[in-house]
Amino acid sequence: MEIIDLNLVDYIKAFELQKKIVSDRINGDIEHDVILILEHPAVFTLGKRGGRENLVVSEEFLKSRNIAIIQTGRGGNITYHGPGQIVLYPIVNLERRKTGVSDFVNALEEVMIRTASDFGVTAVRDGRNHGVWVKKRQIDGSSLQPDITLVPKINSDLDNNIDISGINSNAKLGSIGLSVKRGISFHGLALNVNLDLTPFGWINPCGMAGISMTSLENESKKNIDIKNVKDKLLHHFKKITSSDL
Amino acid sequence: MKELNELNLPEDLKYSDDHEWARVDGDIVTIGIDDYAQDQLGEVVFVEVPEVGDTFSKGDQFGTVESVKAVSEIYTPVSGEVVEANEALADAPELINNSPYKDGWIVKIKADDLSELDNLKDKASYFQMLKG
Repeated sequence: MEIIDLNLVDYIKAFELQKKIVSDRINGDIEHDVILILEHPAVFTLGKRGGRENLVVSEEFLKSRNIAIIQTGRGGNITYHGPGQIVLYPIVNLERRKTGVSDFVNALEEVMIRTASDFGVTAVRDGRNHGVWVKKRQIDGSSLQPDITLVPKINSDLDNNIDISGINSNAKLGSIGLSVKRGISFHGLALNVNLDLTPFGWINPCGMAGISMTSLENESKKNIDIKNVKDKLLHHFKKITSSDL
Repeated sequence: MKELNELNLPEDLKYSDDHEWARVDGDIVTIGIDDYAQDQLGEVVFVEVPEVGDTFSKGDQFGTVESVKAVSEIYTPVSGEVVEANEALADAPELINNSPYKDGWIVKIKADDLSELDNLKDKASYFQMLKG
């Protein structure tokens, strides 16, 4: 397994690199898994099936702030990337590992949950959507359990826009969106560390209205060094993908 | 995730290494993804099918299946022209999970050369590959 830390890198540049590595992997020019870890300058990306309808500000507004919207081929809906969010792109031969996509997504969630835990933040899975979430706290400080019975099932015929406002919603800490080509995974996960969360307010993240986004720093109320989070994320990724897959 | 011996792999189909199945009727080949693939993908939420009249060469990507936040490509095991695509999948992508060999078929292709299917595996050798 080769790990490449690209630091802050433009979305398109990182995407081109992923495509090259996937292609080399398919052709047999690269025989090992490659993990890219990085941050992107501010950018919105759409899933294969779109998500532009979940942009709640005008495209002119984004242009005025010099933020692009990029169509991608990954799963999921619209999302935001920006400095202070760690993005990990695992270019892994799932076919050779005999790992199903479903199990791999589960593993990526586990990587983020364990990493959050290292910084004192309890993250969980949620029936509404893949990715990892932080439970909203009541005033007395106890946690609300996600009430799965109240959770609308995500269904493609609802046009990806599900209003869950009014539910005791959890806040989203990390997201997942993958592609698989000839058994090789690309795209990946994004974990919010200490980024400015404002731009998430300009979209319905993941195509779901009324959800809030959070970050490790927001939850822990401490300053967090992104380098430390990268180290932990990679540590858990290596551990989980070597044992559980 | 299913154990291998729990997989439903009908005897009358041929299987590709990419986990598509093919059923031959005259020169029309019906293609879908098999029980192993649907199980590995998890709950399917969207299937992108080709247009009638599209032509593909053996091994080409002809569509995608989206499940659990992942978009996976699917490949045709035979060259030819699309004569029908399963429109029911637009409203009911879960047919891929619930009925992979019947209601969840994806596409019918008029094959240029049926002998291309000779490379596909029968149930026994496909099962051996999965065990491998």
